[in-house]
Amino acid sequence: MKKRLLLLSFFVASVFAASAQDTTKADPPLIISGSVDTYYKYDFSKHSNIPTSFASDNNSVSIGMIDLALKKKVGKAAFVGELSFGPRGQAQSLPNSDDGNSFHIQNLYVSYDVTDKFNLTGGYMSTFMGYEVISPVGNFNYSTSYLFTNGPFQNPGFKATYAFTSKVSLMAGIFNDSWNAYTAVNQVNTFGAQLMVAPVKGWTAYLNLLTGKLSGTEFDLTTSYQITDAFKLGLNAATFKPADVVGTGGFTGVALYPQLAVSKDVTFGLRGEYFKTKAGSYATAGPAPGSSVFATTLTANIKAGPLTVIPEFRLDNNKDVNDGFINKSGAPTKNASQFVLAAVYAF
Amino acid sequence: MAYLYPMKKVFFSLVCLLCTQIAFAQKDSLQIDEGNNYIYYRVVDKPSLSADTLYKRGWDFAVAFNPSAKPAKGKAESTLNTSGKFIVYSGVSLMRKEGGEINYTINIQTKDQRYRYRISNFVFKPYQRDRYGNMVPIPGIEVPLEKMSTKYGKKDTDNYLDQVASFCINTAAKIKQAMDKQPLVKKTDPIKKVSTENW
Repeated sequence: MKKRLLLLSFFVASVFAASAQDTTKADPPLIISGSVDTYYKYDFSKHSNIPTSFASDNNSVSIGMIDLALKKKVGKAAFVGELSFGPRGQAQSLPNSDDGNSFHIQNLYVSYDVTDKFNLTGGYMSTFMGYEVISPVGNFNYSTSYLFTNGPFQNPGFKATYAFTSKVSLMAGIFNDSWNAYTAVNQVNTFGAQLMVAPVKGWTAYLNLLTGKLSGTEFDLTTSYQITDAFKLGLNAATFKPADVVGTGGFTGVALYPQLAVSKDVTFGLRGEYFKTKAGSYATAGPAPGSSVFATTLTANIKAGPLTVIPEFRLDNNKDVNDGFINKSGAPTKNASQFVLAAVYAF
Repeated sequence: MAYLYPMKKVFFSLVCLLCTQIAFAQKDSLQIDEGNNYIYYRVVDKPSLSADTLYKRGWDFAVAFNPSAKPAKGKAESTLNTSGKFIVYSGVSLMRKEGGEINYTINIQTKDQRYRYRISNFVFKPYQRDRYGNMVPIPGIEVPLEKMSTKYGKKDTDNYLDQVASFCINTAAKIKQAMDKQPLVKKTDPIKKVSTENW
């Protein structure tokens, strides 16, 4: 009994001590955030067809990843370290090291606020390009767009960001010569820039450029507008040309993301994407060079506190019958469709 | 059996401590005004001071309290307004992180020998984690404090209301200090020195 009371006293004292620490005005605490995600996918051809990132396993209850981000800021200096484990957080989104093992690192960088408006950041960072992201918490749809899958995932480098006002900022940086690699192949010579404008309340637009002798050149427009409390419209458009040493061709695409909240906990969203591959030798995760695909994805987000349940139906329509889809009889087909039921818990 | 009595005392003390903590729900400091909006409102007597003197002190407070926003004269006589924002946190202890920011307005009005102030127009802007692992505002989403319970659960709403009330209580103390024209006294704990001479 005495032991129990002692333990109880210790617990209560701990709670109060923690509470006291929480209310101090000192530097913010170490911030921990992240997510876990799991899914079931059924492709109506009875095998996986649609070649986008993640949600890869057909007719299987499978895992995405556990994602764990740590952030600490003391004064003007900060670091972020984000680790991920699981198919989504390893081979499907990260490069392996030379020995074939994963470093599990999505973000690892330090930053310093030179002034309130000027920030310097260096390290291994998620790319600034594109609308969709690797973390399932940052996406509305669970499956990903062709533009996301074929764009960069990470860009290690050094960047400077200047905020002219809260509505206009400019980032410019120099990044490793190759996307999605922990080390440069040879040089740090890819130039990246991002112009952010927020013309009206709720509307933000990012004009992005990434160009290098090895990585090629991509222009990207990412914008979203919360038009009313319930309705949001997003748009992503991009065009890519590979470096001469890599190949010829590339891709162009546009995706529209209308989303409507029908209640506090339920939102419906549509993604309509047109993705066109340019004629040439560069192969994309998508239709053959010189072809195109139109993909329609209908998704719902049903929230229960930190848990989001995501039912999703997707229909992709290739331009040509030989662009890669196979029906359940094993014959080439223009169409592919799949259903996904995913659950994402954010913390 | 003799040890039961002191244990009862310990148990009783723990229960009292927990009850005290529960009773300190700071959101109770917030009031509801005629328009059904949350407000922190106080009227303070300040004998022997004129409206102008109090107004100047209020202005000095507003400038010092929020240097990034210049205070503005209000429509009514001897009235000033300033606005700002502060971060509110979700979760506790190890899982504590920025949940959003609260925008607010402070209105101070003076008369001879009296002043009043209100902290109001609370609007919550929720944060989300961006691709770099930072918590940032979600563009275009703004929730008046009065409507938080329709968008968030009771636990989150109460947590944010407590933090708003705590901000108001701290701000009220600073307003009082400025209106009383008390110099800012830095709290310094006496340095405990050890004697190394006698050993």
